[in-house]
Amino acid sequence: MECDKRFRELIDRSFVEEVSEGERRLMHDHIRDCDGCKRYVELTARTIRGLREFTFPSEADSSAQVFEILGRHTETMRQHNVQFRIWAAFAVALSMSIVGSALVYQVAKFLAAPMHFDNAQVQAGVLVFWLLPSFCAALYTLAVPGQNRGIA
Amino acid sequence: MSALPMTLNTTAETETARIARGLRESDTELLADLVERCQHRLVRYLLYLIGRQDYAEDLAQETWIRVLQRGSQYDGRQRFDLWLFAIARNLAIDYLRKKRKAVQTASSPDDRDEILLVPSSGPSPFEAAAQSEDAIRLAGQLQILPPLYREALLLRFQEDLSLAEIAQLLGAPLTTVTSRIYRGLAALRSAFEEGGDSHGV
Repeated sequence: MECDKRFRELIDRSFVEEVSEGERRLMHDHIRDCDGCKRYVELTARTIRGLREFTFPSEADSSAQVFEILGRHTETMRQHNVQFRIWAAFAVALSMSIVGSALVYQVAKFLAAPMHFDNAQVQAGVLVFWLLPSFCAALYTLAVPGQNRGIA
Repeated sequence: MSALPMTLNTTAETETARIARGLRESDTELLADLVERCQHRLVRYLLYLIGRQDYAEDLAQETWIRVLQRGSQYDGRQRFDLWLFAIARNLAIDYLRKKRKAVQTASSPDDRDEILLVPSSGPSPFEAAAQSEDAIRLAGQLQILPPLYREALLLRFQEDLSLAEIAQLLGAPLTTVTSRIYRGLAALRSAFEEGGDSHGV
């Protein structure tokens, strides 16, 4: 005899989710008198038990391979990170040397006025005493020797 | 009275926070520990999704690389294994999509078999992993079961995740998750119904 569909659904639910105490009692009362549903419960329990009886052997050196690959990636990422920081420092130093030069030029022009320096002399002074040293400092951040540093 | 659950909860939070901090700092020792603890489960999960051991291993490696690259995105608010499985799932779905596209454009049946990775001989990974007579009977059904059903069954009955956790991982409503589990169970149950039931329960 085909059972009421709701009992089969209740049995399924009892294996997968929580069912209330009342529902559980109802199910047990029904199973006691219904061979079809009793077998359905047994087959479902057997299916779930069978599912738990799979043991997948991971390749023996699977974790070791992952360690090795991760080790290589970590090193590459570290190098990229260092290079990024160096280029970022260079960009900051370069923009500071350019923006700073404009400011220093304005200050130098103001200070040089009482001393009767002309514009070309002020520009030469800013170039020699500010722009070139600051540009060299920016380049130094790139070229300083050392492990994993810039273009050195 | 509620001291013990609170302690356990705090410990769990500390553990995920520790993992989140370690991943942000690309802590190699922590990564090695995580690989040791999760690699087997990760490969098994991928195997259920794509049905091939060798490709599952490859995708597992790819997953760990993503973990390393995107470690800073793990905020420690959810379980690490669920986050790991979510990454693996996205990779597996990409892989299955590419495979489907390649099958559609394949010119000959041989090419199609090659793309579908149909094993030429030997037992399927599920047959190879079956540790009991019942499991052997289920293996055949598992191999032909749609990956989404296999996945739901694995997460519920082998990973013992709650339905809410599975729904979170899959990004699917609870009703979808339960429906996949029931349909999957029904398909597997047929392995015993159709093949006769000579064994006791």
